[in-house]
Amino acid sequence: MKAARTYLTASALAIGLMSTSALAEELRFTVWSGNEAHLKMLNGIAESFKATHPDVTVKFETIPAADYTQKLTFQIAGGNPPDLGWMMEDAAPTFEKAGVLMDIGPSVKAAEGYDFGDLSQAAMGLWQDGEKVYGIPFSTSPFMIYYNKAMFDEAGLDDPLALAAKGEWNMDKFQEVANKLTEANPGKWGFEFKDGEGYASRVMHALMPPIRAYGGDAWANGECGFDKPEAVAAVTQLHDMVFKDKSIVPPGEQGDYFSGNSAMTINQISRASKMPEAGFEWGIAPLPAGPGGESPVIGQAAIVVFDQGKQKDLAAEFVAHMTNKENVATMAQFFPPARKSVLESDAFINSNKLIPADQMKNLGAAIAAGKVLPSHEKSPQILAAMAPRIDGLWKADANVEESLKAVCAAIQPLL
Amino acid sequence: MTETALQQTTARPKDAPWLSLKYREMLEAWLFISPTLIGFLIFFLGPLVAVVYYSMTEWNLLTQQATFVGLDNFHDALFVNPDFWHVVRNSVIFALGLVPLNMALALTLALALSRPFFGVVFFRTVFFAPVITSAIAWAIVWKFLLQGEAGAVNQMLAWIGIDGPNWLREPNWAMAAVIVTRVIKMVGLNMILYIAALQAIPRDYEEAARLEGASRWQIFRMIIWPLLAPTTLVIMVITTIGSFKVFDHIYQMTGGGPENGTLVLAYYIYQQGFEFFDVGYASALAMIMFIIVMVLTVVQVTVRRRGMQ
Repeated sequence: MKAARTYLTASALAIGLMSTSALAEELRFTVWSGNEAHLKMLNGIAESFKATHPDVTVKFETIPAADYTQKLTFQIAGGNPPDLGWMMEDAAPTFEKAGVLMDIGPSVKAAEGYDFGDLSQAAMGLWQDGEKVYGIPFSTSPFMIYYNKAMFDEAGLDDPLALAAKGEWNMDKFQEVANKLTEANPGKWGFEFKDGEGYASRVMHALMPPIRAYGGDAWANGECGFDKPEAVAAVTQLHDMVFKDKSIVPPGEQGDYFSGNSAMTINQISRASKMPEAGFEWGIAPLPAGPGGESPVIGQAAIVVFDQGKQKDLAAEFVAHMTNKENVATMAQFFPPARKSVLESDAFINSNKLIPADQMKNLGAAIAAGKVLPSHEKSPQILAAMAPRIDGLWKADANVEESLKAVCAAIQPLL
Repeated sequence: MTETALQQTTARPKDAPWLSLKYREMLEAWLFISPTLIGFLIFFLGPLVAVVYYSMTEWNLLTQQATFVGLDNFHDALFVNPDFWHVVRNSVIFALGLVPLNMALALTLALALSRPFFGVVFFRTVFFAPVITSAIAWAIVWKFLLQGEAGAVNQMLAWIGIDGPNWLREPNWAMAAVIVTRVIKMVGLNMILYIAALQAIPRDYEEAARLEGASRWQIFRMIIWPLLAPTTLVIMVITTIGSFKVFDHIYQMTGGGPENGTLVLAYYIYQQGFEFFDVGYASALAMIMFIIVMVLTVVQVTVRRRGMQ
């Protein structure tokens, strides 16, 4: 009798446990940030999802940015995709075209209280195809000029923020101050490309701001734009700064801005977290304007749901939760939002403890007026085809126009 | 013999093992090698066969769509895509630069360090240490040392009045730089193989030659070098294969640049398969690389054997 009772109790417990595990669901969410503050914030958002979905947990899995798209592809190819994840702008067309992203439009639009119309249409451009919605941007982050204020002050120069306020911050002034800063600081440079990788993995980040400032673009409507007069003029100016003025860190050298070896660099606000360690006074300013006017350049990332996922409807519900007004406002401290209401709010202007309100206003203006970096379903092939021709460009005796024509000849068949 | 007696002799005794000794031993042998055999089949032979099939498909990793295209990928590589022959040329230049340099340096070091003297273990350790150092860490450090004007290598050259090139930004210098840094990294392994071979040569031969009045060069040329031939063959084969498979060094130091000047076959295969997700074409390239390395190995072994005969 006692044995029978024990057996019954154990069975009841087992059934109870099984039913609990059947109800509990876990969403796997891939991200490329391993930053503790970022993950703490994301886990907080996941925790708040329990209010409506008490049995759902979200596990954030960090994959380093350099391998992110590649590893994501392997997981999808291996039949083990995450339920949802972050996606960079340059990968979006490839994944959309391959049909591996879920149309989350119906789910997010049906979510209670979700204001889809509040999302900036300019920011949504890359993630929509007609009525279909393949992602909701969580970071619409413009590239800004980071400057070492101490170096500007020591050289007796107005800093880029002051020049921008006076309406004098343009490409000519940029070249002029970079030159003066280099002369005033022997062994250092006026400007460093993003993360010192402008001649390799960050080539688009190096070329696009000046090309767009001159009114050009990398490509448009299937036609290469690198050999157009605007792009040639912009790249010629950069080339002169590298090899004639020697005011930009040249190929093969390291002149890290964050270590005080360059007076200016270009980056997004996520890099502001490195500044307290830098040990010098600094600021951020808009990109210099050019003959084409002010042309902010934006790097973007969105949250997507994978179509092969076993819990894709639940994952889409989580996207709606994560990108509602409240959570977007929370994320704005690290990731500039695509929601107009948040972007225009005082909460956003004061969200970043490291960046003063006047500089955050410039950031908001850049998001509103900016254009996302170029992307294409064959981005990896295009960048690989460009690479050797761009290498040829970054030589002291290079003919800029001929090098850019060679770039177009190489990539035109892929466009 | 009656039928009953015959049944008695052929019937298996009740307590006899169910397998004869011969089959039992065979079964045991198979069981002993089965862990390795299963691993070999799953992780080596299986993928090898799969690559042959993949090489005849147009398979996009992301879309998971595979279409059988026969030998089209091979045709594209060999007769259509101009990059392929450029990449093969780079791989051959890399091998021609690396193999002789590595072997000559390894032999020189081995001759210097094969005999005992004070500090010999220290020197052997110094030259062998890079072999067990992380290849990526090694490449990162060299990338730093080989910077343009600010690099340590060029600053040292400047002390003696030489204006060093921008090593990793000029195609020819970049190839030379990756070859030399790769040789320094791997030479210790071949040095150890040569030291082992040198120590296995009986001292009597050398002493006899010396008594006959042979010079040091003659002893090396006529006695040591011929006796090292089997080791030289092994070293030549493994170094050649290794040079065609080089990837990590290129990946970290140059990424195949500048101007595709260091884009070698293994890195090109990686690019096609893991950056462009074109697994079919990458598999065809891997098959071609396999055939190139196999042919080179057979040629080396044949030439060497004929030379020894």
